Amino acid sequence: MKRLPAPFGLLIDRDQPVRFSFENKNLNGFAGDSIASALAANNQWLLSRSFKYHRPRGLLTMAGQDANAMVQLPSNPNALADKELITPNLVVMGQNYSGSLVHDRGALLGLFSRFLPVGFYYKAFFKPRGIWEKWAPLIRKKAGLGVINQQLEPDYYDKQYKFYDVVVVGAGPAGMQAALTAAVDGCEVLLVDENPVLGGSLNYARLDAKGTIAREVRDQLVFEVTANSNITCMVNAVVNAWFADNWLPIISGKRLYKVRAKQTILCTGALEQQAVFHNNDLPGVMMSSAAQRLMHLYGIRPGTAAVIVTGNDDGYANALDLMDADISVRAIVDLREKPKSTGLTKAAKRRGIDIKAGYAVFAAHQRRGHISSVDIRKIISPGICAPQRETVRCDLLCMAVGYTPTYQLACQAGGQLSYDDKSAMFTLNNLPDGLQIAGSVDSYWDLGNCLEEGARAATIATNALGFTEADIPDAMTKESHSPNHSWPIFAHPKGKEFVDFDEDLTIADIVNATRDGYEHIQLVKRYSTCGMGPSQGRHSALAAARLVAAATNRTVAETGVTTARPPFAPEHLGHSAGRSFYPARRSNMHYRHLEAGAQMLQAGTWYRPAYYGAVADRDSCINAEVTNVRNNVGLVDVSTLGGLEIRGPDAGEFLNRIYTFGFVKQSVGRARYALLTNEAGVIIDDGVACRFSDQHYYVTATTGGVDRVYQNMLKWNAQWRLDVDIANVSSAYCGVNIAGPKARQVLAKVCSDIDLAAEAFPYMGVRQGSVAGIAARLIRVGFVGELGYEVHVPQQFGEALWDALMAAGQEVNMQPFGIEAQRILRLEKGHIIINQDTDAMSNPMEVQMGWAVSQKKPFFVGGRTIAELEMKAPMRSLVGFVVTDSKAPIPMESHLVLDGEQMTGRVTSCNYSPSLGKPIGLAYVHPEVAKAGSQITIRSTGGMLVQANVVSLPFYDPQTARQEL
Amino acid sequence: MTEPSPTQALRRSPIYRRHTGLQAQFEQTGKAILVSHYAEPSMEALLAANLGIADLSTLPRTGFKGAGALAWVASQGVKLPDQPNTAVLQTDGTMVAKLSHQELLVVSDLMATGSTVDHLNKQPEASQTYSLPRADSHSWLAITGGAAAEMFSKVCGVDLRTHKFAEGQVAQTSLAKINAVIVRHDLASTPCFYIFSDITSTEFLWDCLLDAMEEYQGVAIGVAALRTLAADR
Repeated sequence: MKRLPAPFGLLIDRDQPVRFSFENKNLNGFAGDSIASALAANNQWLLSRSFKYHRPRGLLTMAGQDANAMVQLPSNPNALADKELITPNLVVMGQNYSGSLVHDRGALLGLFSRFLPVGFYYKAFFKPRGIWEKWAPLIRKKAGLGVINQQLEPDYYDKQYKFYDVVVVGAGPAGMQAALTAAVDGCEVLLVDENPVLGGSLNYARLDAKGTIAREVRDQLVFEVTANSNITCMVNAVVNAWFADNWLPIISGKRLYKVRAKQTILCTGALEQQAVFHNNDLPGVMMSSAAQRLMHLYGIRPGTAAVIVTGNDDGYANALDLMDADISVRAIVDLREKPKSTGLTKAAKRRGIDIKAGYAVFAAHQRRGHISSVDIRKIISPGICAPQRETVRCDLLCMAVGYTPTYQLACQAGGQLSYDDKSAMFTLNNLPDGLQIAGSVDSYWDLGNCLEEGARAATIATNALGFTEADIPDAMTKESHSPNHSWPIFAHPKGKEFVDFDEDLTIADIVNATRDGYEHIQLVKRYSTCGMGPSQGRHSALAAARLVAAATNRTVAETGVTTARPPFAPEHLGHSAGRSFYPARRSNMHYRHLEAGAQMLQAGTWYRPAYYGAVADRDSCINAEVTNVRNNVGLVDVSTLGGLEIRGPDAGEFLNRIYTFGFVKQSVGRARYALLTNEAGVIIDDGVACRFSDQHYYVTATTGGVDRVYQNMLKWNAQWRLDVDIANVSSAYCGVNIAGPKARQVLAKVCSDIDLAAEAFPYMGVRQGSVAGIAARLIRVGFVGELGYEVHVPQQFGEALWDALMAAGQEVNMQPFGIEAQRILRLEKGHIIINQDTDAMSNPMEVQMGWAVSQKKPFFVGGRTIAELEMKAPMRSLVGFVVTDSKAPIPMESHLVLDGEQMTGRVTSCNYSPSLGKPIGLAYVHPEVAKAGSQITIRSTGGMLVQANVVSLPFYDPQTARQEL
Repeated sequence: MTEPSPTQALRRSPIYRRHTGLQAQFEQTGKAILVSHYAEPSMEALLAANLGIADLSTLPRTGFKGAGALAWVASQGVKLPDQPNTAVLQTDGTMVAKLSHQELLVVSDLMATGSTVDHLNKQPEASQTYSLPRADSHSWLAITGGAAAEMFSKVCGVDLRTHKFAEGQVAQTSLAKINAVIVRHDLASTPCFYIFSDITSTEFLWDCLLDAMEEYQGVAIGVAALRTLAADR
């Protein structure tokens, strides 16, 4: 097809041909062509097959607002052919067909359409029970559009924040004027438009008989907008939702912009609606504006012989455009009985177009899958035509019967959509503060009014922001003429008058939904799926509301429309998923672990060494690490532990109230176990409290729990008002635990200013001094049950500390150990891990830690509940168990403890103990079997029942002599 | 004189391996080992004027909080900002940021010649004044250049454009999902933002920022470029 000469073809670059393929056929277009326009330029009008009946579909809106234009690209299915540009060698395929796009076997379904009524799924698969399971795989195979390429490497998507005083959505005349007014008044303005160029309808619509005004106004506004440094223009960008406080997600390319606007002005325009008649979905039947877009934006003739069905003057303007493009206009079928005489209607008459006033297109007919003629009839009452017909041959039918405001964003902001019976149009009201609308979205159609309203909306915004104190002019009077015809719907004996193209829903489907008892528009939507397809009711909401209103004897205003939820337009998953942040924390010793061959695991945000060695040797590596600690000395990174500084005159009293133990009388230089419960007496954390001075405690907390502990402390002291300061210094300290019989020997090599002798620095003692020249806090703790010292140093000294200790331990072959070995070592000692051996119900008595609860304190958090629980018989007990059958599978965490068929508990920890040579574990059991010597049954892997003996804790070194060496 | 190694000091930046991977040249400033430069220094200063990131984590800094903290620090001859979330410079180049009515962050100058941090750290703590180990709890990165605010908008929800976020202003916010204190502290005419954030997440943040900077041709820079920009009046 030869393109129309300039100024037709605004968006294409005729000097840059682009070769691409569609359905394996090589085609040519120009740079700037959308897939749909390039296909049209090659006389390829069939774009897709409909979802349900596989009917042939062509372009409808040329605005990316309908599902007809969905095609398959290598990178993604459901690409909108009228928005996506062609690129060199782009491979485009149709989708949703069996066989070929032209000869689709799925189209046979249309023959059975009378057996597929509305609510078919609900009716057909409801009975007999279980039948749905049989049908579901078949239906699912048929459902869905397009194919996902699972081999595709994902593209790089990301996000960016933007901040503006005013965001104007839509760069048509009202939008550009609003942006200019706000910018001139000093605001930082973002002007967003989904199209490639500014101008909106001025780029393709004809506003006057001569056809010059739109272009002149556009050129002037675009010049002023682009020259204004206060305005940022973002084209090819979709404002995809409105969220509270004018938070606007804008999608442009592969980036999601998160825009904060102080004021938002919606100039989103209006969406043209289709007439509803027999075969209104044939390729070649399109919106009047789509035909104008094809001509003005891409230089393409949308047909050779056209009929226009209209209810307004826009149809006449289109007819003039078509004639300017040398297209034969066979008739204007005007639904109005007596159209007003205007410049446009007069011009059409002058050019000899046959105008059929008071007529409707009753049916369209096809030849080779494209419209070939229309059957026009006299309207005798709304929706009813006379039997006499007149056939007009054509290959193009343009529909200009009305609009709906592009209301989606306004409704998401809380705007209310009403229906004005007089203008037969949806209108918006009840908009929130900080949001204005202007232009055709606010039912202004005259260009002058749109410009005035754009300026007015901007002045409201600039006044609200304090940039101006101008008088707000009165709103312009709405035009008396409406572009909407009140009933462009004509039922046909053979049906196929489509209300919803996405879901192949006809007049009968909507009416029958109400007859099935679903009278509310929301129920009609869900029952019929009207408006649930990709175009989300953009072209079905108005017709469906009118039909439901008529069928239920209500007004359209009473019927309403369905909710317009985000997103406005389809968005790629990459836009939500792209460039997300997953914080990762590493101790200062991290790379020393890697260099030593550690297998790292992620615990929350932390990277921790699990064990050192090859994955294939996991168990032997862990066992060797355990044995080395028991028999020699090992070094483990404990930097992930939480650390809290509690300082001030009331520090002791504060800890007394927070933790279960007593701390006021704790000696300076001593550490004490600190168990934390919540108000319900449930254990939520533990650690040790080290007293370095009268007014200074350094309290450790679990890796995953410290933030919660810190928040709890702040919360409680906000009430208690104790004279104490709480600081979370977890990241400020790096720490190791040097543990094993030779720990003192190794540490002594690098620590000269602290007397490490057992008497001078006993178990649970704390000291401050230096290790390898680094200021350090030392804590003698026994989590792994051996002579051990935790050494805490400022974070950035961690690696130097590790190096110094490893060097000092070389002589005795000290080895690092990971948290897997640490877990076994502590299990051998019967020490619990919070949140592994405890759950959301665990209290201190259940886990045999009543010893850690002071009975002498007047108060601590959870104390009252614990006192009450102590008076009741326990429901369960955490006990140690040993599996004696060496051939039995080792139970795992969460395996059940059974009493016959009855579940009585569960395993919380279990591992093979290298020190004891058998599997050991902890489990919640019924109190009746909590005594040492009792037998329990555990359902292990594969359902095998494993017998275990309950034993006293700890499993290893029951006299705890080793840690106190 | 041999070039200092990042591991010769006991205090080591958590991301010194990132610097060595970029063939950094190191220098000793006071007790700190810092990246001097990665590329030719004068070229690096030009790049930094567009968009650069520097690691200053080994330079001195400290913090104080508590009901008596502000009065005590002021009593040591330190000038304090009037309002929370603002920062002021001392005559020795030390910057003091007021994070709340009871908390201060005190950071060294780029040459580490100022004595304020050291002086405050050596004083016995006064009543209701509690020192905070900011040199180890928080890393210290600097983002420089005209494209800095644009880059920040990819990782931070606060409007840091220079006409909205004045010099000496402080934002306590989230940066790439981790908590951060951002202070605008220009180097003469070049916008510069200090970032103080959880030190154990430094590598994560460094990588995130460099990734965000790539679009604007941002690069890692050494302290030499910062000093060049600061002297460029």
